Amino acid sequence: MPGLRELQQQFAAGVLDPDHQAMEPSIRANGLTREQRLQIYRNNIFTSLTEALKATHPVVDKLVGDGFFRYAAHEFILRHPSASGDLEDFGAQFSTFLAEFPPAVELPYLPDVARLEWLYHEAYHAAEAAPLDIDRLSAIATADHERLCFSLHPAARLMRSRFPVLRIWQANQDDCTSDDSISLDDGGARLLIRRHEDVEFVCLGATEYEFLRHLDNAAPLGAAAEAAISLQADFDLTSVLARFVGDGTLTDFRLSR
Amino acid sequence: MTPDAALTAEPIPACAGIGLRGQHYEDVLTLRPAVGFFEVHSENYFGLGGTPHRYLERIRADYSLSFHGVGLSLGSTDPLSRPHLARLRELIEHYQPSLVSEHLSWSSVGGRYLNDLLPLPYTEEAATHIAEHVSQLQDSLGRRILVENVSCYLEFEHSGLTEWEFVNAVAETADCGILLDINNVYVNACNHGFDAKEFLRGISRQRVAEMHLAGHTENKFDGGSILIDTHNRRVCDAVWDLYRDAVEQLGPLPTLVEWDSDLPELPVLVDEAGIAASILEQSRARVA
Repeated sequence: MPGLRELQQQFAAGVLDPDHQAMEPSIRANGLTREQRLQIYRNNIFTSLTEALKATHPVVDKLVGDGFFRYAAHEFILRHPSASGDLEDFGAQFSTFLAEFPPAVELPYLPDVARLEWLYHEAYHAAEAAPLDIDRLSAIATADHERLCFSLHPAARLMRSRFPVLRIWQANQDDCTSDDSISLDDGGARLLIRRHEDVEFVCLGATEYEFLRHLDNAAPLGAAAEAAISLQADFDLTSVLARFVGDGTLTDFRLSR
Repeated sequence: MTPDAALTAEPIPACAGIGLRGQHYEDVLTLRPAVGFFEVHSENYFGLGGTPHRYLERIRADYSLSFHGVGLSLGSTDPLSRPHLARLRELIEHYQPSLVSEHLSWSSVGGRYLNDLLPLPYTEEAATHIAEHVSQLQDSLGRRILVENVSCYLEFEHSGLTEWEFVNAVAETADCGILLDINNVYVNACNHGFDAKEFLRGISRQRVAEMHLAGHTENKFDGGSILIDTHNRRVCDAVWDLYRDAVEQLGPLPTLVEWDSDLPELPVLVDEAGIAASILEQSRARVA
């Protein structure tokens, strides 16, 4: 009889691949066949992982329909195994999976919708943060400003797409009454942020997006401003900074060396 | 997340509680149901902030909590996940739940999670192994935990112990409590052909500190049928009868009615908890 380690490896293999039968001799048949008994677990496992994926990607589910979603989820579960005991962590790679999933090729915006839904999920569960301490910031000498490294709110996520994924997302919410058609040529950059109760969407210009993206990647203010100015010569650093500090997008800072 | 200095974990008396699910948050705050405690799945609060914590903090202000883990994979031959342990410890320090429990099952191997409560063989090897993980969990949390018997849909040829002997062996070795799931005893007795009352007689009476009740579903197969622990309906009459027997044998204990899918309106859950509460009450009246 296999030891516990070997038994668990055989069980996992047998659940994921019906052709893998190494563990079957270890199962008592007793009424049902061994395969029927394994099938119960197979069904429970794929169902709960699929439901978890549906819960975080309700709009993808709506766009492709239940049958397609279950098929895609099954392939995703096999190729991107869950790596956490917390089901909320499962599905981070669903967007990149969909981008390379041949059956979804006719829905080129689908991976970006999945990405938006995952970022929304992350923002929804992220930590709270107090507003940035203005007095502390005012005390930084002007000469040191370019070395300031700002942190975005823990519940802030940046996203850019060539498709109007936010409008697609909104049109597929349960409370949406609009039946306007959506032009697929209409992309843009967005900030998802949960400052209070709900996740909000803020439209960003291309320059603002680049500026925040640099800060989010821990670039100091000098480098972030430079990137913004290279896109837009009249980029007004002072007012943009004042806006993102004032509205709670930037919640902390440190000085880089 | 820091410990909440205003909270202390008080023991839960022998009363009936219900599972807390996101769909019921608002109703719980408005209706303030007269239930003894709320039980949450610990992992539902692994996120660092947002709506789940906002509600749980308000609910904790007025009710005792039980933290019931579904994802630690205690029976796995992988090491316990350190981040999972660390987050659980943080949550427990913050919310000060009265009860903390996990399952006598495994859900991962080789770093791959199947996110289900998978069965263990009832062997000395498996009992010793999971007891070691229970000890690590108790050391890490600095408190006693309860381990729950799970529903099983298959048995292993080399299981030399009965299920209750296995549960007792783990609890004895790790010196932990037992969360006795009455529905799981019933489901396993039907599925594997043993006498549920023999399980109740065999379980280590002084270690049982909580009971669970839930609804199950019968799935028909070619050549037979099997009960699945679906948590999606009311507790059936046979399980209520078994619960009465359990209360008589083990004494009145905190009891939770679980309902995790096809959730009804909150009053239905409160009503189920009311049935459990009246059984507990009758038991106390008999003793008095």
